[in-house]
Amino acid sequence: MNEQTTQEFDFKDEMIDEKITAQQEAIENEIAREQKLISDLIKLDSLLDEYSLEDTIYRSKIIELSANFSLVRKTRGDGNCFFRAFGFRYFEAIMGKPDEVKRLKDLANKICTDLNQLGYNSFTVDDFKDVFVEELERLADKSDVKLLEEIFNNPGSSDYIVVFLRLIVSAYLQKNADFFLAFIETYQSMKEFCSHEVEPMYKESDHIHIIALTNALNVSVGIIYLDRTDQTEATPHNFPEDSNPNIFILYRPGHYDIIYKN
Amino acid sequence: MSGSEQQVATNSSSGKKNDSVQTVTKDKHSVSKRLQQELMSLMMSGEKGVSAFPDGDNLFKWIGTIQGPIGTVYEGLEYRLILDFPNGYPIVAPKVKFESSCFHPNVDENGNICLDILREKWSATYDVLSILLSVQSLLGDPNIASALNHHAADLWKNQSLFKKYLLDKYDKEVRNKKF
Repeated sequence: MNEQTTQEFDFKDEMIDEKITAQQEAIENEIAREQKLISDLIKLDSLLDEYSLEDTIYRSKIIELSANFSLVRKTRGDGNCFFRAFGFRYFEAIMGKPDEVKRLKDLANKICTDLNQLGYNSFTVDDFKDVFVEELERLADKSDVKLLEEIFNNPGSSDYIVVFLRLIVSAYLQKNADFFLAFIETYQSMKEFCSHEVEPMYKESDHIHIIALTNALNVSVGIIYLDRTDQTEATPHNFPEDSNPNIFILYRPGHYDIIYKN
Repeated sequence: MSGSEQQVATNSSSGKKNDSVQTVTKDKHSVSKRLQQELMSLMMSGEKGVSAFPDGDNLFKWIGTIQGPIGTVYEGLEYRLILDFPNGYPIVAPKVKFESSCFHPNVDENGNICLDILREKWSATYDVLSILLSVQSLLGDPNIASALNHHAADLWKNQSLFKKYLLDKYDKEVRNKKF
């Protein structure tokens, strides 16, 4: 692998830009080797190792958090972490529940119709929906964490699920553009916002993505904000606000992981 | 699907040696299917100014043609593009280059194109038609701030000079090569 990477840098007359791309790819490959797309379950306490002893804000917040939360799954920091974390945790929450799976499948089909009406070609959308539904249905009748982990660690299925989740957000935002336009100051239209900030893989997620996804799927999610602000507790924030979620995501600036309540 | 499932089976303990396999996003069969659908849709689209077709039997390499947009200095000119589709398409963008020499602020001397949707703004919902139309519109509407050809970028301010230089170059490097 390393030899290959060196060779990639050995262009003679390619432009510098291409070298940068190759370098980025090498870095991404390195990350891919070190961090699975979705990690095995690890203890929340083990996050303490990431912070120095002097880092009292983070450390005390993690210790405080461990009263209610005990386990974590880390996600790869590739810009898809929110979507991948949410997708995994949501599939996990509904696997073995055929009615819930059926509800999500029907919703996925309806979202494809919405996307067609918004001008998306079926063939650019259906492959992602098909993989999303196929993988979901493999889990309809059984709670199989091993299989779930395989699905989300294989880029062939995992990335397709991420794309479809992105499309769900895009469809929802475009359908409800009148409401959401006020939040996207720098873009002329919701279509433009979605093609720049939602649909491209590796593009990071913000509040607006989370609101759209939880609304579109009618699912409640709690985001636990763990940052350096000077308060003792990590701040939970539920989407929608008045809901009572059982899916929790841990946010540290720039990154989302899965966290489990006791 | 069966191809990707097999990949998982050998991979559950995440052995390092499998990572190169893992970067192949989808098995070749479904990428072929997608490309065939794109070809059909492109042929049915009736777009006049752009076209593309696989290069021989290789469905993963296409030759595209774009006409210079009407009302721009490129009007009346025709350019050929090469589109290379990676196995990870459409999660990964295709590599798109000018095959014909193209004098343009955002095209370098090797035909490489600086266009955001082919890079960080790529999305899996784009298709060959949207790529061709974007490259075509880039011709008449360059992004001077991120120029690859600085001579062309400087000259762009003076459209009549630009056009003269462009046509001279086109006659020498593109038109003459055609025959």
